[in-house]
Amino acid sequence: MDIGARALDRSDLDAVIPDEAELTAGVRIRPGRSYGFFTDTTLCIGCKACEVACKEWNNLPAETPQLTGHSYDNTGSLSASTWRHVRFIEQSVRADSQTPYQSGWLMMSDVCKHCHNAPCVEACPTGALFRTEFDTVVVQQDICNGCGYCVPACPFGVVDISTLDGKAHKCTLCYDRLKGGLEPACAKSCPTNSIQFGEVEELQRRAQERLEHLHRVDVTSAYLYGTPDAPGATGGLEHLNAFFLLTAPPETYNLPRAPTRPANRVAPTLAAGLTAVAALAAAALAIFARRD
Amino acid sequence: MSDSSEWDGRTYYASPQLKPAPFSYGLVGSYVFLAGLSGAAQLLATMLDLDCGRAAEATVRRGRFLSLLAPSLGTLCLILDLHTPQRFYNMLRVVKTTSPMSLGSWALVGFSGASTVTAVMQFVSDHGWGLSWVRHLARVMQIPAALTGGFLATYTASLFSATSTPRWASGGEGLAVKFAAASVASAAAAMQIGERSNRRARDLNSIAIAALAVELAATLHTDQAQRQAGIRVSPSTADRLGVTLPLSLFLVSQLLPGRARRLSTVASVAALAGSLAMRIGVMRQGVESAARPAISMRFAQPDNLPDRHGVAARGSDRRVSNV
Repeated sequence: MDIGARALDRSDLDAVIPDEAELTAGVRIRPGRSYGFFTDTTLCIGCKACEVACKEWNNLPAETPQLTGHSYDNTGSLSASTWRHVRFIEQSVRADSQTPYQSGWLMMSDVCKHCHNAPCVEACPTGALFRTEFDTVVVQQDICNGCGYCVPACPFGVVDISTLDGKAHKCTLCYDRLKGGLEPACAKSCPTNSIQFGEVEELQRRAQERLEHLHRVDVTSAYLYGTPDAPGATGGLEHLNAFFLLTAPPETYNLPRAPTRPANRVAPTLAAGLTAVAALAAAALAIFARRD
Repeated sequence: MSDSSEWDGRTYYASPQLKPAPFSYGLVGSYVFLAGLSGAAQLLATMLDLDCGRAAEATVRRGRFLSLLAPSLGTLCLILDLHTPQRFYNMLRVVKTTSPMSLGSWALVGFSGASTVTAVMQFVSDHGWGLSWVRHLARVMQIPAALTGGFLATYTASLFSATSTPRWASGGEGLAVKFAAASVASAAAAMQIGERSNRRARDLNSIAIAALAVELAATLHTDQAQRQAGIRVSPSTADRLGVTLPLSLFLVSQLLPGRARRLSTVASVAALAGSLAMRIGVMRQGVESAARPAISMRFAQPDNLPDRHGVAARGSDRRVSNV
C-alpha cells in the first residue's frame, strides 16, 4: 500500500476506518477466505508487543508474575489467558561460527496454529469449537461446558481450560477484529513485521520468497514449519493457517516435528475394541450354552 | 541445514510441549470403570438370557441391575468432571464421528434408556405386578441395551487414543482390546459375587478367566507398541498384579471344587479393584507422558507417522526429517 494507516489516523474520525486491514496489512478481510499468520522468527526481536496487544484487546487477565529463571521468557507457555507467547532460546555460540556482536538468541512468537484439520474442533463434543467464515478456529464461550477434551487433543499444547470460568480458551485470531475489517492485534502491533497477517495462500507465497532469499544469503538453516508437506503439517493436519519460518530444529522451539491428527485413530481403535467385545460376547454365549 | 535434520534430544528448557488432559483421575477413571462394568454386565446378562431364559433369571437380574451403575453413578462422575457442569446437556448438541466423547455421550444416553427400561421391567415382573408383556419388553429392550453396552465397554479407550497424549495415542488398538477385556472381566466378576448356582458361578469364572487372559495379552501388546514408538514403558508391579492376581485366583478356584465359592468371591473383588486401578493408572500414565517433553517430542518424530500409503508415506517422512 502506498499510504500508511497513519495517513488516516486523525483524532476527528467519528467512526472506525472501514477495512482498516487494507492500510495496515494490505489485505481486505472478506468472509469465505482463509486467513492466518506467517510468523517469521528471523525478524523477531523478542519485544513481546504481541503478547501485550493480545492481552489488551482480548481483555485477558495477567498471569501470576513469576521468573522462570531460564531466559527472558517469563510467560512460560500459552494458556487460557495468554494467546501469544514469545519464546527465547539462548544458543551456545562459538566464536568461530558467529559474527562478532551478533546475538545468540532465537526468539519466536508462538500462537494457536488454526490447523486445517483442527484436532480441537474434531474432538469438541459440544460444537463449541468451530471453524469461522475466515477459516479460523474459535471457542464459543456460551456453549463450551469445560469438558476439557480439546486440551489433550491439541498436538501443540495450545488450548487450555481456565480455572476462572471453567471454559476452554485460545487465540481467536481476533475474530471480532476480523469481522470489523481490522488486522489481529498482535500482527498490527509487531514492530518488525515478524508476525504477518493475511490470506493463507498469499502468506505462503510470501514465506517461500523469504525462504529463498534467506537461502541465497546463506541462512541455510531456514525452513518453513506448517506449510503443506513441511514439518508441523504432518499426519493428516494438511497445513497450519498460522505457520512459521524457523532456523533451528522444531523441538528447539518446543514444536513437534511430526504431529498427527488424533481423529485418524478413532476408527481403528473402535474396530479393535468392538471386535474384542464381540469375540468375548460370543465366548460367553458358548460358555453359557454348555450342557453339563 | 545439517544441524536441524535430526532431533538431538534437546527440549525447550524441559517445559511441557503438550497440555495434559484436565480430567480428574478419580472421576473419569471411575466412569470408565463403571461404564465398562455396566455395559459388559448388560451384554453378559443378554447372552445368558438368550441361552437359558428363565432358568438363569437370578443371574440375569443381577446383570440388569448392575447395568444401572453407568446411567446413575457413571453419569454423575462425568458431569462432576466438567469444568462447567451446569451445561452438561450441551453434550447432546451435535453428533461428531471424529469425537469418541461425542459418540460416547450418545451411546450413554441410548444405553441409559434401554437398560433402565430393561431393569424396571425386570423389577416389575419380579414383583408379579405386570402381565406377560412386561417380561417380553425386557427381553426386547435388552438387545439395544447390550449393543450400546458393548460400545460403552471399549469406546473410552478410543476416547483416550484420539488425543495427542503419547501414552494414549500410541498402541491405541491394544488399549481398546485391553479396555474391552477388562470390562467383560469386571462384569463377570461382579455378577459372580453372590451367585448361588454352582454351574453359573463356574461359567462366569470361565468368562472372567478368558477376559483376563485377553487383557493380559493386550497389555503386553500395548507396552510393546509403545516401546516401538520410542516411549520407555516400565510396567509397575501394581499394574501387573491387577490382572495376574485375580486371574490366578479364578484359575485356582476353578480347579478346587471344595472351597471354590469363597475363593472366587475373593478373586472377583480383586478383579474389580484391579480393573478400576488399571483405568486410573492408564489416565495417570497418559497425563505424565503429556507433561514430559522428552516423551512427547520423541513420539512426534517422523518414524511414528502412520504409514498409510506404504512406500510413498516413507518418502514424505524423509522430507519431514530433512528440515
